[in-house]
Amino acid sequence: MSKAAFRNACAGLLLAVLSAWGHHSFSMFDMSKQVTLNGTVTDFQWTNPHSYIEIDVPDEKGAVKHWSIELGSPSILQQSGWRFSSLKKGDKVTLVINPLKNGQSGGFLGKATLPNGKVLGNGPGREP
Amino acid sequence: MHWKTITRVALAASSLGWLTAAAQPDLNGVWGIYRAGRGGDPKLSAPAPGPLVLKPEYAKPYEARRAMEAEAARRGEQLANRSVQCLPYGMPTMMSVAIYPVEIVQTPKQITVIAEAFSEVRRIYLDRPQEKIEDVAPGYYGRSIGHWDGDSLAVDTVGIKTSVAGYRGMPHSEQMRISEQFKLVAPDVLHDQITIEDPVVLEKPFTYTLAYKRLPNYEMVEFVCDNNREYVDEKGVVRMKVQEK
Repeated sequence: MSKAAFRNACAGLLLAVLSAWGHHSFSMFDMSKQVTLNGTVTDFQWTNPHSYIEIDVPDEKGAVKHWSIELGSPSILQQSGWRFSSLKKGDKVTLVINPLKNGQSGGFLGKATLPNGKVLGNGPGREP
Repeated sequence: MHWKTITRVALAASSLGWLTAAAQPDLNGVWGIYRAGRGGDPKLSAPAPGPLVLKPEYAKPYEARRAMEAEAARRGEQLANRSVQCLPYGMPTMMSVAIYPVEIVQTPKQITVIAEAFSEVRRIYLDRPQEKIEDVAPGYYGRSIGHWDGDSLAVDTVGIKTSVAGYRGMPHSEQMRISEQFKLVAPDVLHDQITIEDPVVLEKPFTYTLAYKRLPNYEMVEFVCDNNREYVDEKGVVRMKVQEK
């Protein structure tokens, strides 16, 4: 694929993803960067306009950092395997996220590995 | 059966609305966006929208705003819009929000459209005339009056607030009139051809079409915006609140 064709394909994909969401763009997240979070869920908010996973992530020294991770709306998530009961407080999960650009400990979900090993993405067009 | 009996039965059925109902297409149910590219038939997909031509005094600020949005996107920012504040989209945008479906409830005197995103509701009355634009209180959905025109449903809507953005954020005046033609182009594919007339803002009427596919087993999901973490900073840029533990 030529560079131009690749750019066009990327632009088309981005458009498809944006049109699947509608509420806002992803511009506040650094979509070129990925961070892996291994931690414990403190809350799973199955809410509109977005769902959130609140998670405590310990570092190697044992200090805990809290993160807020944004997901799609319940309508969008349930089209890709999520349920309101997919996560609960205390669950140990691995999340791959795109972090907020402003350095705050928030991000946008790429994929989640649930305690039962199931891997879920972030809605149609954002499969794991 | 004697012809008099047949006539009597027909009259009775007609007075109960059976015949009228039977002659009309059944639009009841949940409808999702029809995409030709995903196993769909390109012949059933929505035709390309017509040209959107604004009068020069409206075209200039509209294009300037679009350029500002594009510039912000290049900087990696999104400018505030009403949906970030969790305000509903209103007409006509509510008829197609991302991949959220709409539900149609059809009765002889009224057709109700419920959009899943933001739980927006519009009511199309079939049994009364339209009012003058200046007599309709401007709102998000306006006043919709419809009638069956053969096998298609024609709907006329007036009374949309000027703060409710139109197609791709296009501006409009209180004189805007939205005409729709709902038609089944296949048993499970519905088109809504939307024409926007606005003698103040548009040089000529603008037409675009939405294509839907029937989603027989879909259960509509509630959408109450009670956890909106997006906010607009002092520069008008959209941010997300993170939870402090």
